[in-house]
Amino acid sequence: MSSKRISKELRDIERDPPTSCSAGPVGDDLYHWQASIMGPPDSPYAGGVFFLSIHFPTDYPFKPPKIAFTTKIYHPNINANGNICLDILKDQWSPALTLSKVLLSICSLLTDANPDDPLVPEIAHIYKTDRPKYEATAREWTKKYAV
Amino acid sequence: MEIDGNTLIFIILILFLFFSSPGGNGVTSQYEFNQISLFSQQLSTEYSSFKNQTYDSNFRNITGFKLSYKDIVNDPMVNATYPIDSKNYDQWYNNESYLLMPDEIINTISDSIWNYANDDETNIFPPIITSTLLGTINLKSNNKYEKIRMPISNFYEPSRDFSESVPPLGESYMDDWDDFNEVHNVSFPHGDIKIQFTHIDKVYTNLVSKKKKYFNSQDDDWKLLNVKIDFTDKNEKEKHTVNTFGIYDIRSGRILAMSESAKFHSLFSFPHYLGIGRNKSSQKEIYERAKKLITEYWETSNYVDTLTMGYLDTFYRDSEKCEFMMFFQLKPWNQYSKDQLKLIDDELKWPLGRPANLSHVPDVEVTSGLIYSPDCGISLSTKNTKGERYELKIRSIRFHLLCGIILFVAQIYLLLRQMQHTNTPSSVNKISFYSFCMINLVDGCLATLYFMSATLLPELYLPLILSAFSSFILASIFETRYLICVYASQVNERNVGIMTLLRGSNPEGDVNNERPVVIPDEASISSSLYGRFAFTLILFTFLILNSMSWPRNIRIIFEYSLIFILNSYWWPQIFRNAIKGIPSRRERERISNPTNRRQYKAPLLWKFIIGTTIIRTFPIVYFFTYSSNIFRHHKDIRFVVILSLWLLFQIAVLYSQDILGARWFLSQHTIPEGYSYFKPVSLVLLKEHGNISDPTASGATSTTSDHPVATTSVDCAICMSEVSVYVEELHETHNVDIHDYMVTPCNHIFHTACLENWMSYKLQCPVCRTPLPPS
Repeated sequence: MSSKRISKELRDIERDPPTSCSAGPVGDDLYHWQASIMGPPDSPYAGGVFFLSIHFPTDYPFKPPKIAFTTKIYHPNINANGNICLDILKDQWSPALTLSKVLLSICSLLTDANPDDPLVPEIAHIYKTDRPKYEATAREWTKKYAV
Repeated sequence: MEIDGNTLIFIILILFLFFSSPGGNGVTSQYEFNQISLFSQQLSTEYSSFKNQTYDSNFRNITGFKLSYKDIVNDPMVNATYPIDSKNYDQWYNNESYLLMPDEIINTISDSIWNYANDDETNIFPPIITSTLLGTINLKSNNKYEKIRMPISNFYEPSRDFSESVPPLGESYMDDWDDFNEVHNVSFPHGDIKIQFTHIDKVYTNLVSKKKKYFNSQDDDWKLLNVKIDFTDKNEKEKHTVNTFGIYDIRSGRILAMSESAKFHSLFSFPHYLGIGRNKSSQKEIYERAKKLITEYWETSNYVDTLTMGYLDTFYRDSEKCEFMMFFQLKPWNQYSKDQLKLIDDELKWPLGRPANLSHVPDVEVTSGLIYSPDCGISLSTKNTKGERYELKIRSIRFHLLCGIILFVAQIYLLLRQMQHTNTPSSVNKISFYSFCMINLVDGCLATLYFMSATLLPELYLPLILSAFSSFILASIFETRYLICVYASQVNERNVGIMTLLRGSNPEGDVNNERPVVIPDEASISSSLYGRFAFTLILFTFLILNSMSWPRNIRIIFEYSLIFILNSYWWPQIFRNAIKGIPSRRERERISNPTNRRQYKAPLLWKFIIGTTIIRTFPIVYFFTYSSNIFRHHKDIRFVVILSLWLLFQIAVLYSQDILGARWFLSQHTIPEGYSYFKPVSLVLLKEHGNISDPTASGATSTTSDHPVATTSVDCAICMSEVSVYVEELHETHNVDIHDYMVTPCNHIFHTACLENWMSYKLQCPVCRTPLPPS
């Protein structure tokens, strides 16, 4: 069941790739994918390319895929290990969601961070109090790690 | 830092206040200071009079003992002053001319109470008798004898206003007082008595340094006791409490206790009264030895210097009550030698495993006792009042607590098995929230009561804390955790009526999909549930603690109905089964297959049902059937039988639901038609949901379909492949089985396998997040 659905998603992504994202399996393992996201142009991440590793559980789509950034990124909802704090990847998961929808949600998370439910409180604090400083650091990190 | 004059004065003032604060005796005003001085003056005078007294002299200036029974008989209105004209103070006989009791009572004591002279020491009495004895008390007479008038010094009265600094002098009689707060009579013919004996072997020598010191040089033969006596009628309407000193004569097994108050300084009278019923020579010996005991106690404890305001207040308050003189005869323990008794006492005090057969230690027993009140003229008697040694009682409570812990552990194990059994939201959904609430309430309440008793009983601290801890873990970790799961799986049913639940779906007119229900996450559920749990628990514990002081008959009604209600814990589950319409066992086996087996499990494990019922009934059965249980709870076999039948009936109903189906007792037409996920799809709906191409146009959409015939299909959002649906209006779709797909109340269509699989995780529509009725 899960492999059928994953290959279906793969076919959909190949046929109609979501804007500024790409994804595909690593090697022969259908359950382990790699994805890349282009930094949204209206965000401090513009110009960067961020890589993510994706692991599908065997009971996908009833359990959410495990997604983590492999590129370092300065963001209130993404920590140093690349873990993402996003409700649809946790308890708000629904089997009607697809990987491309999730990647799009991550894209919009890059544009609009959610500092009220942070994973890295220090960045969230700077984001709320000193927005230019946050943007400068994010831009610097993007330049350093994602270009 | 520079210290100026004002600061210095302030510091000195503080230090002065600190060092000159009252030495722990509670004096707060000049008036009280004077009260204490007068009090200690009075006691010192009486003590010196007591010291000068010999066996051959009468009581002189001792409060409460200035008159004898004969004096009152001769002149009922005689004033209790010292000296009284024509009274002989230089001799002593044990009769009504000298004692406060009529000859009839004195003879009763010497003939039928204190009748073991035991001069040859053939009888052996236990040296240590710390225990609580229970028995019955009978009223012998309450208006036959004259009442001795006892004056109270006026200085005991509390000050009426702050300006007063000198307490009033003189004495007044109780008869002249307008009102009593206490009952001055015993009005019931039969009642219950509780006697508590505690040994006093060490005393505080000083109020400030809390040092304790042994004082008794005749410890082998004489013991000073603290005696607390409560007697009440059977309905506990009229209560009498005396908390006072007693002297225990080990050689003859006699205990004399006399109440103490501002009008009755009984401590000085023990030597004379202990000699009742003995011959002249032994009376003299007893007098001397008892006097020595009291003198040693008085001197070691610095009695006069360590008086406190609290003590004075108690003295004053107790003077409103009747005074009681209590004569008890203990039962000898002739089966033991003195050495064996010492061995038993040592083993009880410091358990090291000595060869003392502790399980056969007999009860401390007062074979006969007489209680006489000189100022109220009441005489009462008690017979065969007995109770376990305190240390033995503690041992047995410890044993019972350990048994209780085993029950808790067994309950935790069963609950864990049950939690494993229902590990998906749809199986937890069938569990009754309220059944577990009732179970949880009892366990939580036990935990609080254990914690509270641990603070009250330092000897049992460890086993009590262990019990509290195990019940706390059971209640607040496992049970509450399970409750949270159950609540979370049922949260979308909260605002739905019973009939709708019976039907198993949202009503037709409900516009549920227009206002998406936000399903709260577990964190918010658990915080609100923990809050509710704690609040109910506190209220319930207060209610139980409060009920302990209610009158006996109301208390019993409360206890019985509470036990009954709290043991109805399977009814909510029976109700829940009926609502969910759990099919019968045979039906479940028929429809289940390996992929959906877990959806067709019975909600509760039979092991859990039977085990929990036994664990929870066992303590009740114990307390209601063994008359010698640790709480002295009364025996009531009938209630136990009724309660067991009630529980058996609940289990029988659960079993019948398992065999016959959960709704067998509901007639068919009372059950509304349930929501069916299996139904034909209308063309309108199909077009509205739109992701189909016109089936009649071409076979483009059916390229992946196995059906050669043109089918109408929708995408299943779960597996992302097509679902063939049955459309009433289109004849070519009529070969589709409507059981192959499911239509949610929010009109989303999925494969049956896909949606059922998802519903075992969450009862929520994958597309629009609307809560789903369980299938």
